[in-house]
Amino acid sequence: MNTMNHKSDKKLPELLSTAPSYLWLFVFFLLPSLLVFAIAFKSADSSGGISDSWTLSTISNVLRQDYIIVLWRTIWVSVVVTALCLLLSIPVAYWIAQQPKKYRYWYLLLIIIPLWTNFLIRIFAWRTLLHPEGFLRTALLWLGVIPDDMFLLNNMGAVITVTVYTCLPFAILPIFAAAEKFNFALLEAARDLGASRFKAFYAIFLPGIKRGILTAILVVFIPAMGSYAIPDLVGGVDGELLGNKIALRASANRNLPEAAALAAMLSIIITVPVLAFMLKHKRLLRNIISIRRSAGDSTK
Amino acid sequence: MTMKLGLKLAALATAVSALLWGCGPSKPVLNLYTWSDYIDENLVKEFEKQYNCKVVIDTFDSNEFMYAKLKAGGSGYDVIVPTSYMSKIMNDQKMLLKLDHSKLPNSKYIDKRYLDNLAIDKKMEYCIPYMLGYTCIAYNKEKLGDIPQTWEVFSNEKNKGRMTMLNDYRETIGAGLMFNGYSINTRNEKELEKAKEQVLKWKKNLAKFDNEVYKAGIQSGEFLVVQGYSGDLFQVLDESPNLSFMIPKEGVMIACDDMVIPASADNPELAYKFINFFMDPKNAAKNMEYTCYAAPIPEAKKYLPEELRTHPGMIFPEALFKAGQIIQDLGDDNAKYLKVWDEIKISQ
Amino acid sequence: MTFAVMIFMYLPIAVLIAQSFNSSRYGGRWKGFSLKWYEALFRDSSVINATLNTLVVALVATLVSTVIGTSAAWALNRYKSRLQTSHYGLVYAPLVVPDVLMGISMLLMFVSFKVELGLTTVILAHITFCLSFVAFTVLARLQDFDFTILQAAQDLGAGPWRILWKILLPLLGPGIAAGAMMAFTLSMDDFVVTFFVGGPGSTTLPVKVYSMMKHGPPAIINALSVVFMAFTFTVAILGQIFTRKKF
Repeated sequence: MNTMNHKSDKKLPELLSTAPSYLWLFVFFLLPSLLVFAIAFKSADSSGGISDSWTLSTISNVLRQDYIIVLWRTIWVSVVVTALCLLLSIPVAYWIAQQPKKYRYWYLLLIIIPLWTNFLIRIFAWRTLLHPEGFLRTALLWLGVIPDDMFLLNNMGAVITVTVYTCLPFAILPIFAAAEKFNFALLEAARDLGASRFKAFYAIFLPGIKRGILTAILVVFIPAMGSYAIPDLVGGVDGELLGNKIALRASANRNLPEAAALAAMLSIIITVPVLAFMLKHKRLLRNIISIRRSAGDSTK
Repeated sequence: MTMKLGLKLAALATAVSALLWGCGPSKPVLNLYTWSDYIDENLVKEFEKQYNCKVVIDTFDSNEFMYAKLKAGGSGYDVIVPTSYMSKIMNDQKMLLKLDHSKLPNSKYIDKRYLDNLAIDKKMEYCIPYMLGYTCIAYNKEKLGDIPQTWEVFSNEKNKGRMTMLNDYRETIGAGLMFNGYSINTRNEKELEKAKEQVLKWKKNLAKFDNEVYKAGIQSGEFLVVQGYSGDLFQVLDESPNLSFMIPKEGVMIACDDMVIPASADNPELAYKFINFFMDPKNAAKNMEYTCYAAPIPEAKKYLPEELRTHPGMIFPEALFKAGQIIQDLGDDNAKYLKVWDEIKISQ
Repeated sequence: MTFAVMIFMYLPIAVLIAQSFNSSRYGGRWKGFSLKWYEALFRDSSVINATLNTLVVALVATLVSTVIGTSAAWALNRYKSRLQTSHYGLVYAPLVVPDVLMGISMLLMFVSFKVELGLTTVILAHITFCLSFVAFTVLARLQDFDFTILQAAQDLGAGPWRILWKILLPLLGPGIAAGAMMAFTLSMDDFVVTFFVGGPGSTTLPVKVYSMMKHGPPAIINALSVVFMAFTFTVAILGQIFTRKKF
């Protein structure tokens, strides 16, 4: 395989390795997504079908004030969930990465196993845990931590707790992957040079696992923005998030165009900043890679 | 070359699924699309044996979702079990087969009181009623004692945070309408406004609007009062002596689920046999026992075990034929209900 | 800290295991020890059927998405061209799109191209959302990969297949395995997308659980989860013993 050295032949392997995913995602992802954006410019007819004519009314309808309230609620819940997940997963990943290699994967497995139970069932189990007459609330009442009329279920606190619970493994995995590659000798060196433990962690470890943290943020924040089963099952009367609205419009309310418009709004809110950030970040990555490669070439 | 690879993989995926599911003796297949846990599996097995066929059951959990899927082109189902108002919509959209009653001899058993008083399709032109249910209220008798028969129960601040109403705009606004003495199918905006104020008053005391967890919640003592569907609630009540139920005097909503044959059915002949089979009073009785809902087949009562012949879930309360109301589709005016519901949801 | 997180992770699992032995149908109160849900589980053909569907979908989706995803990661890492920039965007986008949108959009597409909904459409949809996860997991590995090894192997006269089998796969293996595992887990647990693109005979476990929660006894599902966890755990332990013998 000398092709790598010749520019003219370089195209073929590139095309070969690119085509399957490119074509697949073009047909099964891009095309259908565009279809949805198109449907946002339609309206629903009374039988629940989609009208033939084009209109802007569905879009303008979606910008109503009550949707904005729900949107805002969705954003802050997702931000809190993401922050909590990071707070919990960084120390865990840090700890696991320092364990002897033969135990590491067992710890990882322990983190993953809860994911192998059905997620709806896990949510249901939380309802038992947070039950108003359950042991947790009784204990908290006895300790005087919570007032008599406070419940642990059917409120935003429950939604956040359970969302953190379901997202945590997905946050730990990428951070662990990054931490595993981190050279822990650097921390020792910093300590030898007089940095405090905290300072070394903050100034060396965290930047060292930056990519893992970024991945974790993405894999937690995005599903949180779109979640609807959790607010549905453990949320209260004012617990509706954007995902609930979309699902409701798509099913019970028989208004597919409005569901499409809401979904489009959600995906624009998520996709645009994330893609912009990633493209910028990618240039950064590319720089690093090309620096490393040229360094390798020069030593050769 | 790579195209081929992609195609091959796609073909592989298809082949594997076809291999696993397409094989076996080619018995005729009946595809049933219904609510979960809504049919006695032993009866289904009996039917399979009797007609040497295979029944494949898929489930949906809202009429609208099922409708959207069919409308979008989903086909291959032979029998579907929608709620009456949805059967009508589907029929209006020419999605259903006109029923040939010569193939449904057992339709003579269907309750005339239901057909005359409540049914939308009184002549059973496109649907056969399968099960009747009503929305009622279950409560924790151990903790609350007896409570008056009224929707006003949700105004009791003592149970704040321990009560639920359904997360269904027609049902819950409907409760507000009935409380004020209006029709649940009203198109009058003033009446809807009053219903909204009523529901908002109740909302302050509710833990949530819920369709999923109220059964487990009332049984475990998490909730003290819940609004729910009769069959579902009786399944819980039958094993929990500390709970009781109540039918509000202002009226309740009745729902009937029908059996229909979609126009796109692959196997309508088998579908007729299936529907006829479940109208047989003996089978209807078994099915009632399993689901806790009432099949509108008076003859079936004979075949129920003695102790179940007064069961308020399986034997439809006589008074409800007159006092109950059945949900009808409102076409464009549906939007009025949705608007009210959105306002209820968003108000703090 | 890890200990606290483990408790947090396993508290609900403990509840779930306890509930699977609770004779109460809705798992509210403790009504005595019982194995009846396990019996019911093995008698309930619809649950077994749903489990089989879930496994078939997850296996096929994992296999196909791992192959395509790895190839995509390779291309993204190896080549820098305008094609790869758009490729990157295309592989990236599914990660930042909510399930609901993906479900609706694929449903609409299958319908407009008159593809009959069923197990096949579910598999196609699952491959689509698994693909990007695999690609990015493998890509993370590749980015730390020292490509001078390949150069060295070539200089020593190794052919492309030999390089693939002897160098690439062993070195990237953990990354690919991690990607496949991610794909399998995602596919097993997917509810939203399956719900939208499913048709006759394609009810998977999460879809079944959701409707059971509303209308049927969820206790059976507790029992099923326990059986499933036991199965997974056994496989993991066997895997460990097996690899230990090997090395």
